[in-house]
This record gives sequence, C-alpha cells and structure tokens, in this order.
Amino acid sequence: MWELIARILEASTIFVFAGIGELINQRSGVLNVGVEGMMLFGATFGFITVMLTGNFLLGFLVGMAIGGALGLLHGFLSITLKVNQVVSGMGIWLLGFGLTTYIMYLSEAIGPLPTEVGKLSTIAGLSPFVYIGIALVFITWFIFYRTSFGLRIRSVGEDPSVAEVSGINVTKTRYLCVIIGGMLGGLAGAIFSLFYVTTLSYNLTMGWGFIALALVFFSMWNPLILLGGSLLFGALWKISLTPEMVLPGVMSMYIWRMIPFIVTILVLVFISTKWFRIRWGLAKPAALAKPYIRE
Amino acid sequence: MKIGGYELRLERRLAPISGWGAAKISILAVIVGLALFSILFILAGVNPLSAYTHIFSYAFMSPHGLGLTINRFIFLLLCTLAFIIPLRAGLWNIGMTGQFYFGALGAFAVLYAFGAVWVPGAPDPGLSPAIVIPLMIIAAALFGAVWAAIVGFLKGKLGVNEIVVTVMLNFVALWLVRYMIFAGGPFMNPGGRSESFNVAPSACPPLIWGVPFTIFLALGIAVLLYFLLAKTKIGYQIKALGHNPAAARYSGMSPLKITLLVFIIGGAIAGIAGYHYFGGPCGAGLDKIQRNFYLIGDLAFYGIICGLISLGNPLAAIPVSLFFGGLTVGIRDVQGKFHMAFGLDYALLAVLMITIVAFQFFYRYKIIRTKEPKGRG
Repeated sequence: MWELIARILEASTIFVFAGIGELINQRSGVLNVGVEGMMLFGATFGFITVMLTGNFLLGFLVGMAIGGALGLLHGFLSITLKVNQVVSGMGIWLLGFGLTTYIMYLSEAIGPLPTEVGKLSTIAGLSPFVYIGIALVFITWFIFYRTSFGLRIRSVGEDPSVAEVSGINVTKTRYLCVIIGGMLGGLAGAIFSLFYVTTLSYNLTMGWGFIALALVFFSMWNPLILLGGSLLFGALWKISLTPEMVLPGVMSMYIWRMIPFIVTILVLVFISTKWFRIRWGLAKPAALAKPYIRE
Repeated sequence: MKIGGYELRLERRLAPISGWGAAKISILAVIVGLALFSILFILAGVNPLSAYTHIFSYAFMSPHGLGLTINRFIFLLLCTLAFIIPLRAGLWNIGMTGQFYFGALGAFAVLYAFGAVWVPGAPDPGLSPAIVIPLMIIAAALFGAVWAAIVGFLKGKLGVNEIVVTVMLNFVALWLVRYMIFAGGPFMNPGGRSESFNVAPSACPPLIWGVPFTIFLALGIAVLLYFLLAKTKIGYQIKALGHNPAAARYSGMSPLKITLLVFIIGGAIAGIAGYHYFGGPCGAGLDKIQRNFYLIGDLAFYGIICGLISLGNPLAAIPVSLFFGGLTVGIRDVQGKFHMAFGLDYALLAVLMITIVAFQFFYRYKIIRTKEPKGRG
C-alpha cells in the first residue's frame, strides 16, 4: 500500500512541475497549449544526455534548458511576433512531437538506463522531486500572493496596459514567465523519462502535457488547487497503469488506460457548469491569450 | 534595417490580408521550412538537393511512388477537410486522429456484423460488395461523426476547450482500437496476431483507372464543402461564427447548432479517411488495422498544416494535400535509400508547422521596401 502511495506521489509530481510552469505562463497572460511538446523535448534530450554522458543530474539540467529554450521560442512567437497563442502553442507541440520522434530513433539511445545511474537517494522512501514539487507549489503561491513581484506578474496578466502605465515592463515580465514555464515543462518531461518510465518510446508523454493544461484551468490559477488536482490525476494515472494493484480483474487493461483521459474531459465539463464558471470567470487572468499591442 | 540601398521596415497592415497575399506567404513559409529541414539532411551526411530531387521524383514520377502518393493524398485531403470546416467556424479540431480511428472501427464493425471475420487462406464469406462497401463507408462516417459530436456538444453547450477535449478523445480512441484488435479483442485477427482481421475479398473496394475509388469520394466532398461554404446560408453562418461569435449570436443564429454541425461534418470526413486507409485495396497490407496503426493516425496532424496553408478553402486543400501527400511518401523512401533514422516524416511535420506558425506574423505585418534617398547617411 505504501509502495502504491509513493508511486502515486511520484506521478503527481510530474503534473505539478508541468502544471506550475503552465500556471506561471498563464498568470502573465500567455496561454501555452504546447506544454506537451516541451515535455517531449525535455524527456528526449534529458534522457539522451544521460545515456551519452552517464551523468544523471546533467540530464535534468539539459531537460530544463531545452524547455526554457522552447519557452523562449513560444515567447518570441506569441509576444514579439504576436501570433495567435493557440496557433503558436500548436506549433510548439507538433515541433516537440515530430522532432523528438526523429531524434529518438536517430540517437538509438532509448534505454533502459544503465543500472549505475538512475538511482536517486530517496528521502523517507520518496524521490527528492516530490519534496521539491510540493515546495514549488507553496513558493509559487507565496510569490503570487505575498510579494510585489507576484503582483506585477498578475497585473500583467490582468491588464497589461495598466501595468505598463504603472511602470512594469510587460514584454520582459511575460518573457520571464514563459521561459520559467518552459523550464518547468522541460524538467517535468525529464523527470518523466529519467525517473518515472526510464525508457524512451514513441510519443512517450502520451497526453500528460495536455492533462497538465486542463489541470491549470481546473485550478482556477491557484497553485494549491493545482496540487490537489495533480494528486488526483497522479492516482488515476498510476491506477490505470497497474489496475491489478487496486481492482484486479475488473476490466481490460486497455479500458483502464482510457480512464485518465475520460476523467480529464469530465473535469473540464465540471468546471464549465454555471456554479464553477462564475468563480472561474473572476479568477481567470483577463488578458489571457491576448497579445499585448502597445497603443 | 538597410539592405543594398533599400530601407526595410515593418508596418502593420491596415486592411486584412487578401487571400492571394496570404497564399504567397504560405508558399514562402513552405520553401523556408524545406530549406530549414535540409539541415537534418546535412547533419545525416546527405546532400539536401539530391534528397529533395529523390523525394519528388519518387513521389510523383515513379509508378510505385505515385500509387502511394495518391493513397496518401486521399487520406490527407480528408484529414485536411475535417480540420478546415471547424476552423472556418473558429474552432480547432485536433481530433482527426481519433475520428479516423473511429471511422476504421465503424467500417470493421460492419464486416464483423456480417460475420466476415476473414484472414487470408480462409474461404471467402461471399459478401455482396454493392451492399457492404457503402455500408462500411456510412458506418465509418457515422462513427467519426458521433465521436466528434461529443466535442461539438461540449464546446457549443458548455464552452469546454475543444483542443484539450479532442486530444483526450484521440487517446481514448487509441486505446479503444488497441482493445478491439489486441489480446482477444472482438476485431482481433483469428490467426492470433495483434492486428485486426482482413477485409474479405468480396468486400474489397474497386480500383478505378488503377486508383482507389475513394479519391472520387474525397474530391467530391471537397467540391461540396466549397459550395456549402461559398453559396449556402449554413456556410455563411459557419463563417459568421468564425469571424465574430458575439455578433453571430446577436444575429439570431444558434452557435450550438453550428458548432455541433461543423464537428459532425469534420468527424464524418475523418471517419471516411479511416475507411479509406484500412478498408483496402486488398493485398497490399492496407486491408486491415495494423498493429502500428498509430503511426499513420498521427500523420493526420498534417491536416493541420494543409488546412492552415489552404486558408480553410476546401478547393485549395486539394493541391496542398497532393503536395504534402507526395512529400511524406517521398521522404519515407529517402529515409530508406539514404539509411536515415525512422521518423523523418514526423520531423518534417515539426519543422513545417513551426515555420508556418512563425510566418503567420506576416498576415498582420508587411515589409515596406523604400529606396533610400540619396545624400543621407
């Protein structure tokens, strides 16, 4: 039982990193539907780095760096070029999907990881990422609601022209947020490939990035609610992968694998109900997905 | 910026870009994308020029390649049309993949219902093609339409984000197909292989002039959709919703109806692509749902690229899909010929997509070139 809970927490951590990254992104008014692409890049490059160098830590750093670079690209497209943010996010996603597929087969470094790497010293039976992830949630909450820096980010997401008048550099703030968001997305991917599944395969993140995106909508842009949602989906994912640990022999494993995706849709339907929508509308960054054009 | 005596500067377009102007930008984007993509050839030690020559000569000149190109073209055209119709209403159908899988399931469900679970070597169940083939197509369209209608309903009624929902439904459909064809699923090959049973010879689609008859279906749908958008009231309402949802609502039309309709049309077309790709022609491995069906399913995302390039015009989608059909077929052959890694066609998808996205900038800005006045600077 403890084993199951530990694995659930580790799966949830991946949603936390990707979700917090997306949340920071959206709080500054930039929608990024391409988290999945950033995760794929982080997962693939991080993994290949470890296979080539044997340096486990370097893999995570490379994953973060490549995610940050993609965040910069998304920023360039959506902030500087003012391309429709959905279109730009689609571009990032398909860039990640297509290019990492080729790079994975090209490198032939699909694992499994050599046994001498791939071990993280655990703290009370849990990977350090679990603790870092939980800390990240509270730090993000603190920054957003208790610091002037967080207030600046939120004001950029609410009303960029007012923010600009009050002396905040909108472009700079948004760039900072998309780069941080990308780094966290890339890191989430690296944790996924290096720590969670420990092999590379075709389109390996299998929709985790899109679920993280849905979780951010669900969270009403509050990191604490996001943590709760991540725990729920971590549990769902783990159970759908190994249903025999909970309910042996109830359904075909293929049907189990659909459940996280179906529940994501149900969650989205739930947050569209009137009760939720009123609260959601108030919480939503008013300038979300709108490019800022200085008058 | 100054280049060769000319001063270049960016200027915001005051009027929306014309169709032809946008087409020129798309063509430029594809050329730049292909040029960028040649980096991958250079890195693999392949001369990009000979690679591209090979791609196009194989895809459009060689008889074998041309056959594959036409087959891929039909698939891509249907996926593009499935993407275009919701796009014209301002909606993103990323669910062509899932609708395509559902279409395949619908087509095979008809065979299953007739008890025609056939494998090569077994006696032919003696189906009547004039009944079974139309039924397979109708079932494919129906299954795809139902799968997409979920999205249309959720978007139209509750405003649920259609991108996330379509992606989620893609994965649900992926696992449903696996359930149906793997590990004792109903459509599993009776020989025990992890793929579906084959289309019985008596249900094999006819070739007309050596090409799958579905080409006429796809072209016919493209023409029909063109007239739907250009000449009918429904087409006008679809475009109105895409231009200005609020105004469309005030004008008294029902956004729910239109949203549902565009997704149903898109889903039905993607479903027919599922029949086209897995329903035959027989004998070339294309008459069953293969175990790696997802490799072709994910190529449905090329429909996004083709749809964006053809600017939502169903007739423009025809040459664009043909071009990309040939490109994807040719690139797969280059991969084998020059011993490059698998996945080159997906990498091309990636590079083209991001280039086209970046070039959308020029839909709103233009480069003004003026001769620098003499005696300055």
